[in-house]
Amino acid sequence: MNAVDVLIVGGGLTGCATAWHLAERGARVLLIEAGELNGGASGQNAGSLHFQIERRFLENGPALADQASRVLALNRLAIEDWRILDQQFGPAMEIVMHGGLMVAHSDAEVALLERKAAREAEFGVPTELLDATGVAKIAPYLSPDIRAAAWLADEGHANPRTITRLLAARAIESGATVRSRTRLADVSRSARGFHLTLESGEAREQIRADRVLLATGAATMATGVLFNLHLPVFPAGLTMTATERTAPMIGHLVQHVGRRLSMKQTESGNILIGGGWASKLQRGATSFDLSCPATIDPDALQANLRAAADTVPGVAALNIIRSWTGIVALTADQLPLVGAVSRAPGLYVAAGGSGFTLGPTFARLLAAEMAGERDGDSGLALFSPDRFDHLNGFMG
Amino acid sequence: MSRRVASQHPGPILILVDGAEVIALPGEMLASALLAADKPVFRNDLEGKARGMFCNMGTCGECFVTVEVPGRPARRLRACLIPVEPGMKVQRG
Repeated sequence: MNAVDVLIVGGGLTGCATAWHLAERGARVLLIEAGELNGGASGQNAGSLHFQIERRFLENGPALADQASRVLALNRLAIEDWRILDQQFGPAMEIVMHGGLMVAHSDAEVALLERKAAREAEFGVPTELLDATGVAKIAPYLSPDIRAAAWLADEGHANPRTITRLLAARAIESGATVRSRTRLADVSRSARGFHLTLESGEAREQIRADRVLLATGAATMATGVLFNLHLPVFPAGLTMTATERTAPMIGHLVQHVGRRLSMKQTESGNILIGGGWASKLQRGATSFDLSCPATIDPDALQANLRAAADTVPGVAALNIIRSWTGIVALTADQLPLVGAVSRAPGLYVAAGGSGFTLGPTFARLLAAEMAGERDGDSGLALFSPDRFDHLNGFMG
Repeated sequence: MSRRVASQHPGPILILVDGAEVIALPGEMLASALLAADKPVFRNDLEGKARGMFCNMGTCGECFVTVEVPGRPARRLRACLIPVEPGMKVQRG
């Protein structure tokens, strides 16, 4: 039976980056992906690098917003991690950090921006509030009726289509084995670690691994079943849209504090529009069927495009070349689920939201923790899966 | 190179593609006229490599060109979906 130090399940950004970090440390790493590398949310999202408090955290009242703000500790680390990736990989990742604006149209939205900026200051995220004149100076492409914006100089965007593949290639160069079209079929505990059955087409193979990382995004609940555990992340379908290429127009990441919206312009000139508008998950017999893509909701798409044109009027004249959907994972408290699962020693998980922006940081911190380099708080304590351990009181 | 099959056509019309005259036949799509005129390159990508139309059915978006017809403002349109018109000015890229 083949033995590895670490089995990573899931060939998305976090899985591939963790494989790279661990292989570089000399660990024997096998990464398996049930479909194709970068086939999930890592490649489906619109590539925002957003480090301000997310609008979705502000939608559900102050208590949840306060709790979710704690993710800012990670956002600060993520800024540094993306700068390092840019240095290490060069222009191929198309990492652009020329700043981001979260804009406000109404008095209530301006007040929300002020409260948000105060909370960000507490966590050392240096958001700046700009009035209409300041906004017009930095971003003349924005609608003149925008009253204010929160500016964060480190925000930006990167190319989700290339990053995960580049990370996987680097992992392989560092000695990791990466296999797509291979799924985890069965698991049992061994004296030290796990016996695992892998399935590629008709072929089955048994391996042994000391540690296992589940970086399976929205499929994490299903992967948890193999370990007889509830790993409580919930799928959500989202919608993204690309316009045709156009001359440079939007130099920043643009978000809206009162409406779901994210916009940025790629290196090729396309403007990507998203920001959390729903697509419809397909229904299976007893749960959502995540093997089918979510379908576009025309009303949500139209509302998304309206928010885009209200914020950046210049996009109204552009053709849409594509809209697509992706499936992300959310948790009950909106914080990601990242770290060791104490009830199953040797098992780690990384899932649950903002996995593109935070993926490189999840990967770096997890690799250190899995390599046993940290005794105290690795920076991941807040996001520990153990906060939901009560769900597993009768499991494991 | 693409060529037209022999068939009955009304008289040819002239369109301008990047400033050069191109003969087209009424009723054919702009993309067909471009291919028949040996102009299969619709743009160059960021590395300078030629890109052409892929699907010829309005889906891939690779045949977007800027089209100006007398009396109407210039628009970005998919060449595979619009019929040629006399005096049409087309800019690729």
